[in-house]
Amino acid sequence: MSAQDKVAIKKLPTGVLGLDEIVGGGLPEFSFNIIAGAPGSGKTTLAHQFVFANATPERPALYFTVLGESAIKMLRYQQQYTFFDPAKLPNSIRFINLSQVVLEKDLGAVLAEIIREVEKVNPAVVVVDSFRTMIRKPQGNSGETDLQSFIQQLALFLASWQATTFLVGEYAEDELRDNPVFTVADGLFWLRQTTERNSIVRKLQIMKLRGQASVPGLHTFRITNGGLQAFSRTFGLSGHKSKPPSQRRLSIGIPELDKMMGGGIPEGDSVLVTGASGTGKSVLATQFIAEGIRQGEPGIVAVFEERPQAYADRAGSFGLDLESPQKDGRLLILYLRPLDLSVDETMNEILDAVKRIGAKRLVIDSLAGFEMALSPGFREDFRESLYRMIFALTGIGVTILSTVEVDESFTEFPFSTYSISFLTDDIIRLRYVSIEGQLRKILVIIKMRGGDHSQDIREYEITSKGLVIAGERLKNYQHLITGIPKRLKPLNEKEELSSKPDAESKT
Amino acid sequence: MISLGARDMARQLLAYEAAAEETSVATKSTALRVHEKLRQSLCALSGVAGYRSLASRALTLAKVKAPSLRVMQVTADGSLQVLSEAESESDKGFASEDQVVLLTELLGLLHAFIGEALTLRLLREAWPNAVFEDCDSGRRKA
Repeated sequence: MSAQDKVAIKKLPTGVLGLDEIVGGGLPEFSFNIIAGAPGSGKTTLAHQFVFANATPERPALYFTVLGESAIKMLRYQQQYTFFDPAKLPNSIRFINLSQVVLEKDLGAVLAEIIREVEKVNPAVVVVDSFRTMIRKPQGNSGETDLQSFIQQLALFLASWQATTFLVGEYAEDELRDNPVFTVADGLFWLRQTTERNSIVRKLQIMKLRGQASVPGLHTFRITNGGLQAFSRTFGLSGHKSKPPSQRRLSIGIPELDKMMGGGIPEGDSVLVTGASGTGKSVLATQFIAEGIRQGEPGIVAVFEERPQAYADRAGSFGLDLESPQKDGRLLILYLRPLDLSVDETMNEILDAVKRIGAKRLVIDSLAGFEMALSPGFREDFRESLYRMIFALTGIGVTILSTVEVDESFTEFPFSTYSISFLTDDIIRLRYVSIEGQLRKILVIIKMRGGDHSQDIREYEITSKGLVIAGERLKNYQHLITGIPKRLKPLNEKEELSSKPDAESKT
Repeated sequence: MISLGARDMARQLLAYEAAAEETSVATKSTALRVHEKLRQSLCALSGVAGYRSLASRALTLAKVKAPSLRVMQVTADGSLQVLSEAESESDKGFASEDQVVLLTELLGLLHAFIGEALTLRLLREAWPNAVFEDCDSGRRKA
C-alpha cells in the first residue's frame, strides 16, 4: 500500500505544552482515549486543556461530569488556569452532569443519555469525567459482560459520530491488566505523582497510542498556572536530523589553549572543564563564551551558583563584555537555581533558549550546581538526562562546555566526581600544584575524541585578562599531576627567578 | 457578602420574566418561574443534587433578610415550593423585594463559586433572548 493510499489521520493539538511532540505530533482525531491516574495527578486539567484547545461553536465539546468533582467546583478551580477561556462557555464547551442518571438508573440509561446529547450537539470532543465512578457502581447481575458491552458501544458510537473522546478515571497500576476499558481504548495516558523526600515528582506515560508512534518512557510534567506542561525525554529533538560532523575548531579565547587542542574545540563537542574550587573553571568558560560572541556565535550560559548580573560583572572584571550581547540578544545567561526542578524541565529551558537565539555555544556552570537545583527524586536521573541533553544538543551542532568541581587530592588525579567523563568528548583538567613554596596552577588536556592534542602540562595564571597560559611546558618536574611535584635538578638563583610566571608578559 | 452585580442581575431577571409574563399565561409567580429556569439550566451543569444544595443554601440565607420567605422550601428535584399551609397567601405573590433577595442570594453563591463572568454566561444560556447589563462595567451589554 503506497503512502497516498493510506488514510491520513488528522492530529489534534493537545493544548498541553510539550505533549504534542510526545504523542507524535498531536492526538489522533476520533480516537477513544483514557486518562488514568491517582487523585490530584492532573487528569481533569489535562482533559480541560484538550477541550479548550479544540472546541469551537461549530464542533463543540461535551464535558460529562459524573460522581466525582461537582461541575461548579470544577469550573471554579479550572478557570484559574490561563488556558480557560470563559468565552468558550457555553457555545463551544457544554458541561452536562450525569450523576442523577448514574445513581438512579443503569449503564444503559447512561449510554442513552450520552447518545442523546451527542446526537443533539454533534461534538468534536467528548469527555466523561470521572468515568471510573460510573463503572464502580454495582451493576447488579449484569456483570462484566454488560460493562464490556457498554464500553464497546460507547467507543463505537463516539467514533462513528466523529468525536475524539477522553474517559477520565482514577486507576491504580495493578488494574491495567484484563481491564476491558484499556483494551478498547486507542490511547492510554497514565499520570503519576510520587513523593521524593520533600518534593513531588510528576510523570506522564503514553502507555498506548494506536495509529502513530509516541515517544516511549516516562516524561516529566509540571502543573503551572498554564495547566500541565510536559517535558519530552527527547527534548523535542527526536525528529531532528543530526548535523554531519564538522571539521571546524572553535577558539576558546585562550590562544595557547587553542594550540594545545589542535586549533580549538571541535565544533559540536562536549567539553568538560574540571578542577578544584578557585582553579579558574568559570573564568575559562566565560572566555569561551565571550570569544564565541566576538566571532558572531550566539551563546547561552546556564548558571546555578550565582546570579546572571554577578556572572556578567565578574566577566567584566576580566575585560569581557557580557552586558552588550545580552542586550542585543546574542547571549542569554539563564539562572536556573529554583529548587525542585526536574532535569527534563531544566534542560527544556536550556533548549528553548538555544533555539530562541540560535546559540552555537553553551556553558553549563556548573554540573554540581545543576544537580543541587534538582528535586532529590530527579537526581537519580541526572546522569542519564544529562547524557540525553548533551547528545541532543551536540547532534544539532551546539558546542557545550561544562564545568565540574572535583576535590583536590594529592594522591589521585580525578577528572570528575560524577563519573560523567563518558559524556564528554574532551576533558581539560585544572589543578593546584605546590612548586617552590607556592601554590600554582597547571592544566592538561586529558582527552580529545576528535584527534591529537598536546600532552604538555602547562602552568597558568588567572590575571586581569582571564586565564593565561605561561611559558613552556614544565619540563623540570616529575609527578606534577600529584600536585606535589619533584624537581629533577635544582635551580640556580637566576633560573628560579625566571621560573615564576609573569602575567604582564603573557597574552 | 452579596455583590452589587448579583443584586442588579436578580432585578433584571425578575423584570425580564415579568415582562414575558404579560405576553403569556403565567401559572406561577415571577420568582418561581425565574427559579425554575435557573434550575433547569443549572441541573444540567451541576446535577440535581448539586443545584438542590445551592438553592437550599440561598433560601436559608435569604430567609434571614426576608422572613416572608419562610413559607418556601426546596424540593427533592431542586425546585422551589410554597409550603401547603401558606399556598393561599403565596397566590398573592411575594413582596417584590423579597423575590430579589432570594434570587440575589442564589446568584451571589454562583458569583462566589464560579465568578461573575461565568454566571452571566450561564444566565445567557437560560435566557437566550434577554439582554443583561453588566452592572459592574456600566453600559456593556452581556
